[in-house]
Amino acid sequence: MNGVRQGWLVARREIRERSRSKVFRAGIVITLVLVVAAIVVAAKIHTGNVTRDVGFTGTTPAALPAAVIDQGKAADVSVRPRYYGSVAAGEEAVRDQKVAVLVVDAQRLTWRGQPDERLRAIVTAAIQLVTVQQRAAAAGIDPGQLHAVMAPVPVENQQLDVAAGRSSGNVAATVIMSALLFMAIILYGNLVLTGVAEEKSSRVVEVLLARMPARNLLAGKVAGIGLLGFAQFAVTALAALIAALAVHPAGIPAVSGGVLAWIIVWFVLGYAIYAMAYGAVGSLASRAEDAANVAAPVSYILGAAYFASYMVVASNPDSIGSKLISLFPATAPFAMSGRIAIGAAAWWEPVIAVALTVAAIAGLVVLAGRVYTGAILHTGPTLKLSDAWSATTRPGPRAAEPPAHRRSAGWRWLS
Amino acid sequence: MLDFDGTTKRFGSLTALDRCTFAARPGRLTGFLGPNGAGKTTAMRAVFGLVELDAGAVRWQGRPVTAAERTRFGYMPEERGLYPRMRVRDQLVYLGQLCGHAAGDVGRSVDGWLERLGLAARAADRLDALSHGNQQRVQLIAALVGEPDLLVLDEPFAGLDPIAMDATSGLLTELAFGGATVLFSSHQLDLVEDLCEDVVIIDHGRIVLAGELAELRAKVPQRFVDIRYQGQAPDWSQLDPAELVEDRDGQARLRVGHNTDVVALLGTLRDRAEVVSFAYQPPTLSELFRQAVAA
Repeated sequence: MNGVRQGWLVARREIRERSRSKVFRAGIVITLVLVVAAIVVAAKIHTGNVTRDVGFTGTTPAALPAAVIDQGKAADVSVRPRYYGSVAAGEEAVRDQKVAVLVVDAQRLTWRGQPDERLRAIVTAAIQLVTVQQRAAAAGIDPGQLHAVMAPVPVENQQLDVAAGRSSGNVAATVIMSALLFMAIILYGNLVLTGVAEEKSSRVVEVLLARMPARNLLAGKVAGIGLLGFAQFAVTALAALIAALAVHPAGIPAVSGGVLAWIIVWFVLGYAIYAMAYGAVGSLASRAEDAANVAAPVSYILGAAYFASYMVVASNPDSIGSKLISLFPATAPFAMSGRIAIGAAAWWEPVIAVALTVAAIAGLVVLAGRVYTGAILHTGPTLKLSDAWSATTRPGPRAAEPPAHRRSAGWRWLS
Repeated sequence: MLDFDGTTKRFGSLTALDRCTFAARPGRLTGFLGPNGAGKTTAMRAVFGLVELDAGAVRWQGRPVTAAERTRFGYMPEERGLYPRMRVRDQLVYLGQLCGHAAGDVGRSVDGWLERLGLAARAADRLDALSHGNQQRVQLIAALVGEPDLLVLDEPFAGLDPIAMDATSGLLTELAFGGATVLFSSHQLDLVEDLCEDVVIIDHGRIVLAGELAELRAKVPQRFVDIRYQGQAPDWSQLDPAELVEDRDGQARLRVGHNTDVVALLGTLRDRAEVVSFAYQPPTLSELFRQAVAA
């Protein structure tokens, strides 16, 4: 009986039993509905093509409303002009939010509160244009000549701190992936945690450990819950993609295939390393309710790793700190994927980081297996990590003096 | 044959198993006895590698036990437990498959045992939907799936009602008759005396008595005479070499040496009381146990 087969049997049991639960199924449906709804609603609220009402009053050049509409078109804002007989009526409309801004005598803009910068630029540019045209006509300049003089010069934007080839789509994908990984670890890492604690509290673990080493049990559990989690994420991501394509095709960030592959690799490794740690500490809890307390250190490390990676890499992806943090196994899944997306990592850096992380996971499997075996046969109060580690040299209460009540009870079922 | 050879396990200053050497033979039931905390559970866990030994070894068919051998072992831990929310049959098939058996074989074995223990109709139910007694049956099947060559059962009779106790005894006897090696611990000495050919008594981590029960009883120099009598209680003094153990409600138990002239003793007794019945026998397992543990 090899370990891989046993691990697979454990994984398959996790997938079967958990996918059978009504809570799990309802969770999938609710997540799908929420994600699709969020995308559709967000698209409805924030469409690229906004409509703004602009009020005019007083002496308004005949060409001005048309010029505002033209300027608006260029900026993806459709402008609806409205006319008011008096300043008071116009201001009333601004107050009632019937118009976003009131143009008085083509000289003054009246806003309800803070000016809308985008709209201000549109209206101001239109006023400048119309006024210059008026003055030119008054000075006898030929309108055709004027057009040539006023023709816009194409202006290019250059950002010094973004290197060539660094695509914003890749960065966006990584930021999303980091957040999703963080969420996945919290969700599925906690399933591993409570799963381990439940096996301990229901005492089924002794039946299992008599049949296989703890490392097979733990690795199978992490793999099974992981596969289930990835399936759920994949379904949700697919639904989100379809919804996004349906409402706003241009809104999907363009991700290169290489970056996407790395994102998946880091997602898997990031989940594996933290889930394994959760499994090991889960075995220290004596009851499922204690599991969260026992796991607090792992949760703190996770939170710190996520935010530290984000801040260090975002501030300067090429700094020594960024390089170190992207090689360290606890932070690599967040930091290295970020640096890959920005294009800051040399080809060999992720390779080393993957090797280190895989080695750390392998070490954690062995370490977790030992803590697990030491802790899992211990009943009574929550165990300290050091005690579980040295369980071979310390008496558990069971081994030394079994309490009489437990002996007579004989059968204990905890659910 | 399962051999414990100098098996030693220390937990800090406490020695849970102290150079324990004994064997459980195939085709026989071996009762594993000892006061609470004597080391029975630790010894049984050692068979399954659940405790790391400090010295000695546990051997199966003369070879140290490895994971491969354990696939042919069945184990029922003292603290029972299965997945409460998992369906009975799925659960048993899963546990069988973990031992390396093919799904089809395990399925047939599980179905056979469910049928045999009257649980066939509950196969698709969640474990926690079953009554206490039925849950115990499922736990027993978990140890029997795959028809193991060695059964190690930690207090299989604890918490059973008399009918379940009879059924379990019958089952274990049958399995041993079929060639299995069966080692089980118990505090019910009368039951062990009825069931087991071999006993092992452990105290403070040391094996204080081990071997064939009939031989162990015969080897002890004391014998006991049980008599029932009618009328007045006789004067038990000057009955040398017999010594009174107890006398209550017309029943008396006397301790004598193993070479006592039984016929002469019966004559002496009849002179003093109206003897209704007379029995001459070696000590019971309880007496052996108390002696061994007190020593």
